[in-house]
Amino acid sequence: MKILKNKKGNILTENLIFIILNIVFLSILILFLFSKMGSAAVLEERYSKEIALLIDSAKPGMTISLNMEDAVKIAKKEKWPLDKIVFIEGNTVKVQLREKGAENSLGSYSFFNDVNVKANFDTTNNKGYYFVIGEK
Amino acid sequence: MKNKKGGDKIISVYWFVILFLVAAGISYMVISFYGKPYDIRELEANVLTNRIADCVSTNGYLNEEILTHSFQNSLLNKCNLNFEVEDAYDWKTQEQFYVKLEVLEFNSKVKVVEVSEGNSNLKDFCEPASKNSPTCLNRSFYSIDKQNNQYQVNILSVVRKTEKNVK
Repeated sequence: MKILKNKKGNILTENLIFIILNIVFLSILILFLFSKMGSAAVLEERYSKEIALLIDSAKPGMTISLNMEDAVKIAKKEKWPLDKIVFIEGNTVKVQLREKGAENSLGSYSFFNDVNVKANFDTTNNKGYYFVIGEK
Repeated sequence: MKNKKGGDKIISVYWFVILFLVAAGISYMVISFYGKPYDIRELEANVLTNRIADCVSTNGYLNEEILTHSFQNSLLNKCNLNFEVEDAYDWKTQEQFYVKLEVLEFNSKVKVVEVSEGNSNLKDFCEPASKNSPTCLNRSFYSIDKQNNQYQVNILSVVRKTEKNVK
């Protein structure tokens, strides 16, 4: 009886370690996936291209609102000023979510629509930007 | 009893080997997908073509101003386009866009207007199309003027910007 009890204890411990290791392994994999999907560099590139395409398709007199909740979250985490996430210089859109973001050349993209664009942080919900398109 | 224990251990080792292989495969796919930039050149070429088409024709009627020399000499200005690009990858010295507009009489196919703007070298790389070549988009549509004369409008838009869209 004594031997049997010990064996049962061993099986339980081995299984527990096995399950814990599996969970740790899968958690690391999932964390890696999410970190890659929502990384600052990916978002900087995505939003700069998205905003450039929006401006290219826009006409003077339009106001376009863009939800950038995921980018705002990262900027807050990186302690980057929220009103400096999107910057439009000439006909180039720059999106920066961190101090080192300026080194990411994919975070800027030019648009060909010859309009005057003002990018404003939406302070009513703190979730994104709105773009006012005017004539040049 | 001893054999069974050994067998369990072997299974768990194999299990971790399989897990490792799956994780390596997923990581490789994720890195190769997110490591590449988003390619938006086809969308850009589409928008550029639409802008030129809107400029040339409104509600199916040809904008008769395009038949004048002043329009043909300043296509970009008249269509509110600006082909300046950011100062990266030596793009300032090499234009990244090209557009060609042709208006033909529909029946006789006689060219009435032929205007182009941008880097004309880019159109030579349209064929054969490859990952690193510029994105080219050819589009034609039919239009009439106020006297019901019929026209065919051909627009070729080319967008390069390879460095920021392809890896």
